[in-house]
Amino acid sequence: MVTGSLFLVYAVCFSLGIAAGFFMHRSDYCVAGMFRDAFLFRSTFMLRALFLQVVVTMVLFEIARLAGFLPLFPFPLLGFPSLSNIIGGFVFGIGMVLAGGCVVGTLYKMGAGSMVSGVAFVGLLLGSALYAEVHLVWASFMKATTFFKNSKSLPQLTGISPTLFVVFIGAVSLWFFLKWRKEGQWERPSDVTGYIQPWKTAVSLAVIGLLSYLAVGMPLGITTTYAKMAAMIENLFFPEHVSSVAFFQGLPLNIVHPATGAVLQGGAGPQFDSVWAIQFPIIAGIILGSALSAVLLREFAFRYKVPFSQFVMALCGGILLGMASRMAPACNVWHLMGGLPILAMQSILFLVGLIPGTWVGSKIVSQLILKQSLSTAGNS
Amino acid sequence: MHDVIEQKVIEIDMRGQVCPACLLVAMDKMNKNRDVLKSGEARLCIKTDNREATTTIPTTAKNMGYGVSVTKMDTYYRLCVGILAEEKD
Repeated sequence: MVTGSLFLVYAVCFSLGIAAGFFMHRSDYCVAGMFRDAFLFRSTFMLRALFLQVVVTMVLFEIARLAGFLPLFPFPLLGFPSLSNIIGGFVFGIGMVLAGGCVVGTLYKMGAGSMVSGVAFVGLLLGSALYAEVHLVWASFMKATTFFKNSKSLPQLTGISPTLFVVFIGAVSLWFFLKWRKEGQWERPSDVTGYIQPWKTAVSLAVIGLLSYLAVGMPLGITTTYAKMAAMIENLFFPEHVSSVAFFQGLPLNIVHPATGAVLQGGAGPQFDSVWAIQFPIIAGIILGSALSAVLLREFAFRYKVPFSQFVMALCGGILLGMASRMAPACNVWHLMGGLPILAMQSILFLVGLIPGTWVGSKIVSQLILKQSLSTAGNS
Repeated sequence: MHDVIEQKVIEIDMRGQVCPACLLVAMDKMNKNRDVLKSGEARLCIKTDNREATTTIPTTAKNMGYGVSVTKMDTYYRLCVGILAEEKD
């Protein structure tokens, strides 16, 4: 809708990022934590909010599609389902738990002053750069293990209309939502100032995802720009190498937006293109939106006095996240909050890998933290 | 007549630490110090900036039968768990 003007793309994506960062900070809407705490503490409170977000997104996307507002359906950059989606999801799950946040959680926590997340962010860039070196091998593996070569989503595979899927899934989910409402399971008491109950953030993020899809033809996605930022930094020091790496030459986004006729073209290379215009303002927006929320609550502070082992863990987690984001390809926000709602098979497979990955990550992280708490932190 | 017992404070500083360190370490400390916490001899106070932990620790502690207080400090929260004597600070 706004793709005709570069300024509008920047402005809209930046605003959506600010809103997302603000809400996520208020509710501590951490996707890594949602899965992790379900395993570690048997707490599914936050996971319910994510479930709500996926279903609301699904319904909103379907209404918008039926109304003719989503000419690009399924949206660009989604590919055919492959074994690489499961493996990518698995590695991603381990990475996000070690890093203490997913690719977006890392941003909003960094925005509120967390140095551990700052280190995880550096890891994300490093991991993206590392992936670029092995891209050709991985790409041929991805191709060789593709399950279906002509359908990207369940409706396409089965030939059943997306509306039927959405009505069925929506109805079953609604039953659960009402049951949880009756049991008072949507809200919990909190003593933190400015707390926003997570279900409200879930609905807000679903609306933000829809606005993004309407405005720029895609739901929220950011990780290609992590690879791009890595390429830009690498390009300062080793320009010849960057120009020889195949991954940085590719243009996975190459379409004409039907509504505006604008050409959307871009990839992970170190240039300012459509991928940058759409994703970078979201990244910057999330960091600033969260910082704004923290400053308003007087909770902003740089936190760096942390056991050294946690920095190492966050760095390793970040590297795994960065690599997995390209192996999958794409991240949890893209898949869970964009692909899953349109029943993209890549996203379903990503989730299939993500769950055992977070379980493994939770085992590792709880062992490490408890070991370290015995030796250093907390013994006053 | 009350016996005035000076309550010990077990203080831990979890500010800035990676999730879920705060809840994990808090639970670990609650378990390890169960006797002194239950008898009121000591209380456990946790400094944290983690909004999620500030919400989940009180729930966990209450389920374990402890009293909980949450105080907003400068840029963080101080959670105290145990049989809480009058807060003087």
